[in-house]
Amino acid sequence: MQDVVNQVINTSFGWGWPSWAIALIGYLIVAALLFGIAPFQMLFLTLYERRAIARMQDRIGPNRVGPEGMFQPLADGVKIFTKEDIVPTAADQWVHFIAPCVVVAPTMFMFAVLPWGPGMVPVDMNLGLLFFFAISSVSAVGLMMAGWASSNKFALVGAMRAVAQMVSYEIPAVLSLLAIVLVTGSLSIVELINYQGGLFISTRDVASVPDWGLGWFIFSPVGFLAFIAFFIAALAEGERTPFDIPEADSEIVAGYMTEYSGMKFGLFYLAQYVLNFLLCAITSIIFFGGWQGPGVGWLYAQAITPVNPQGGWVFNVLAGVLGVFYFLTKTYGFFFVMVWIRGAYARLRIDQLMDFGWKFLIPLTLVNIFSAAIWVGLTKWGAADGLAFVEGWSPLVRWAAAFGVTLALNLGAYLFLARIFAQSQDERARQDDDVLEQLTNVA
Amino acid sequence: MALILLRRPYGWEPMDLLIQIIFGLLAALIIGAAMMVVTVRNVIHAALWLIASFFAVAALYLTLEAEFIAIVQVLVYVGAISILILFAIMLTRSSEGERLLTKHWWAAALISLGLFGAVLLPTLIGHTWNIPLPTGPVDAPETLSGVEDIGRGFVNEFVIHFEVAGILLTVALIGAIVIAFEERSRRRHVLTLSEEHILRQRQQATAERVSAVADAAD
Amino acid sequence: MTTETQHGSVIVMDRRRGKLRAGQGLLQGLRVVWDHWAGSFRKNDNFSKIHGTFTVEYPEERLPMPQAYRNMPVLLFDDESGHELCTGCYQCQRICPPQVIHITQAKDPVTGKMVPAATEFIIEYDACMSCGFCAEVCPFDSIKMDHVYELSTANRAALTMRKAQLNRSISYYTGIAPGLWAEVQAGAMKKLQGSIKRRPDVIGLAASLTEKIKARRLELAAAAAAAPAAAAVSAPAAPAAPAAKLTPEEKAAKLAAMKAANANKGAAPAPAEAPVALSPADAKAAKLAAIKAANANKGAAPAPAEAPVALSPADAKAAKLAAIKAANAAKQAEAAPVSVETAVATAPLDAKAARLAAIKAANAAKLAAEQGNNE
Repeated sequence: MQDVVNQVINTSFGWGWPSWAIALIGYLIVAALLFGIAPFQMLFLTLYERRAIARMQDRIGPNRVGPEGMFQPLADGVKIFTKEDIVPTAADQWVHFIAPCVVVAPTMFMFAVLPWGPGMVPVDMNLGLLFFFAISSVSAVGLMMAGWASSNKFALVGAMRAVAQMVSYEIPAVLSLLAIVLVTGSLSIVELINYQGGLFISTRDVASVPDWGLGWFIFSPVGFLAFIAFFIAALAEGERTPFDIPEADSEIVAGYMTEYSGMKFGLFYLAQYVLNFLLCAITSIIFFGGWQGPGVGWLYAQAITPVNPQGGWVFNVLAGVLGVFYFLTKTYGFFFVMVWIRGAYARLRIDQLMDFGWKFLIPLTLVNIFSAAIWVGLTKWGAADGLAFVEGWSPLVRWAAAFGVTLALNLGAYLFLARIFAQSQDERARQDDDVLEQLTNVA
Repeated sequence: MALILLRRPYGWEPMDLLIQIIFGLLAALIIGAAMMVVTVRNVIHAALWLIASFFAVAALYLTLEAEFIAIVQVLVYVGAISILILFAIMLTRSSEGERLLTKHWWAAALISLGLFGAVLLPTLIGHTWNIPLPTGPVDAPETLSGVEDIGRGFVNEFVIHFEVAGILLTVALIGAIVIAFEERSRRRHVLTLSEEHILRQRQQATAERVSAVADAAD
Repeated sequence: MTTETQHGSVIVMDRRRGKLRAGQGLLQGLRVVWDHWAGSFRKNDNFSKIHGTFTVEYPEERLPMPQAYRNMPVLLFDDESGHELCTGCYQCQRICPPQVIHITQAKDPVTGKMVPAATEFIIEYDACMSCGFCAEVCPFDSIKMDHVYELSTANRAALTMRKAQLNRSISYYTGIAPGLWAEVQAGAMKKLQGSIKRRPDVIGLAASLTEKIKARRLELAAAAAAAPAAAAVSAPAAPAAPAAKLTPEEKAAKLAAMKAANANKGAAPAPAEAPVALSPADAKAAKLAAIKAANANKGAAPAPAEAPVALSPADAKAAKLAAIKAANAAKQAEAAPVSVETAVATAPLDAKAARLAAIKAANAAKLAAEQGNNE
């Protein structure tokens, strides 16, 4: 963005502004865009979800307000704005007031590190991925504040459950991403996307692969297992079915949102949808290449970039449009999968949820990290790092060896852990005779 | 923004002033929040002020160009430890606290300030501070890849520290499990209807077996 | 893979799903939901199928109501004869739980007797609870439950429905509930014929069928024109005639004959209270009385100009009009206004007034005849 602004102002108009001004303008434009995009995403996603889930339930969703219900979210927004804001007198006024902000603000922050197209990232941080998850963990504090400040025991219990769920599923999420970070060697999201050029095999792994933008991580065993684990963890983080105990209608009133009405409830709602959008976006970025797709890399190579300041601005626009199209297609596709899962599955109980997270997903992701390390060793290391025997092999052979080993390891680990977990769950359900008798004092 | 501007080799004087202003604000925020932690009446509010001071500390790390530490500060302190503190407060029903100010608090303040000054003043006066900042050759900005350096440090120079910290965390984890664990038989457990039914069936089966054995023995 | 077998009215579907291995159940669940999603882009018109959208997009589409659906009662009238089936028997008014039905039964204006028809029928739709008791209890199957449910309005007063708004043709009812009408049709039509016979004039015809009303009136007028000759011939022999089922017109003629006879016998002149606002029936009766009086007074050979027997319908109408005008003139000759009821009540006893009116009518008729001859 700054380069485009620089080009426009300095070169085309020849005003010659200092670079800090250009930087400032660039950031302001981007911030304004993001401020508009985030609520728009939420509006669109609410409509999208309602239409999709309605079709899954053999009915049509909202289609009265505007063509195909396009203005339904606006009507919902007006409704929420005009509702009375009721605050219980026993509630902690300040904390009750600030809690929705603490829940919503991090979701807005997370837009800062999301690349929408090639070169279209608001802030290119070296630690973008870590920033993303650090900020998302702040909203858990907001949940606690909301539950406590309502001075309602159901809200408190609901908030504790929600926070326990969020915190315990952050671990498998971050651990599964850690495997990908191991493979790429960088925490920068932009770098992660750039790594995924190629054709089912990333060009960084095997340089002779043509760059069609399809060298996604999902096509490797490490990435596949990480994707499964991450998507499940993202469902739990965003409080979607089957992990939607805090927000489901028939559960514990409305959980931590019980005592909120009007726009404060609207803010919680907004935060939930924006967070889900962001999680879908991160899924598509890390495992499916984000804006990577056939054509984008080639177009961007001829655009104005920091390495190529003489490019044509047309290519910027084209690459941007195509990149954003791929990115949004993948993101909305993942959101459709989230809605699909919501339409298909029943809810997990809180104890089943915690068991699944701690006892199944975390061991699985730990094994995945191990296989990621093996992958890195087999594809990248040489004699200097201690693996002399791989140095003689060609890159393709190295890739194939890594693929095979990690596939075997991941598959074996999944089957093994699944069996153990299933057995433990069955064990839990069964009651032994002596235990029963002990409990009931029946001879 | 300060970092981005720092990256560019401009040597612009006003930026130093800007950084000093930012530092002053952050320091005020940290100290103010810390003071609120110990003075507010409601213990939950104290925890929330603590979270505010954590955020400010993270910002302080950012001004020191330690991005990784700043983000980890937010991730660990705000995202995990604060929640732990809040859980602990909420689960232990503490009564509405009262301001724990003694009657002659001004005397205590004076004495503590005096002691603090006695420790700090010699350092402040005697040391040679590098003000103004040395204007050395401005070369290419350092790459802010703190993560790699920290990682290398963990397995090269600080491996023992790393391992000890790891053992400590593992011990804490196991200790937590041990404390929270309870034999299933010792749990107070009300049987559901289905469990009662199963129990009754099993007892009938055993009773029949016993009587069958008794009949066969006759 | 799914075999369906039918045992009686139960269909057994055997979905052969193999043993589910780890994770397969979840994927099959997703598959089921996907099929529903993909299938929902077509509309479901057969409720025994499970795929397809079940939504009825009101108000563009509406669900068809079952025949026995009841919402708001309506009154039926027969298409061909135009007669309403309602006889004003008050059964529905009696049984209505919220008492929203208000009926006024029709009265024969000439005889004052009740006629099996209703002059006014009011139902307060805003309080009606559509229980259908009125329709259940109606002996003549004239009040039935309609199917309309889109009655929302901002004007509460507009929900008080009168007979004109409640009338529906039988073909309308057959359209919404053919089976229910088919059950009761025979009995209802039979009872309707009976009611029609007992309804004089245009009483009982649905007010909206103006053509039918006009035609009936013409019919009656023609019958009345033809009837006096027969009545005059049979009048001397009439008094002892057996009281067979008389039409209302015949009854009126008989009554007029009796009045004329009383008028002749009556000596004491009652106060000159002229009958006011004579209805056509009354005017006709007066005319008939006038004719009889003229005949009785002047002998068997009435002057041709005075014999309204051969009068054409136009002249008969003129004579009728003259009679009305005479009556009105008589009324205006008086100073004190007389109520219609007393006038009607005292008219039959008022021999002199009748004679006066008769003389005036005869004069007017003569004048009219002369004028007609002159033109």
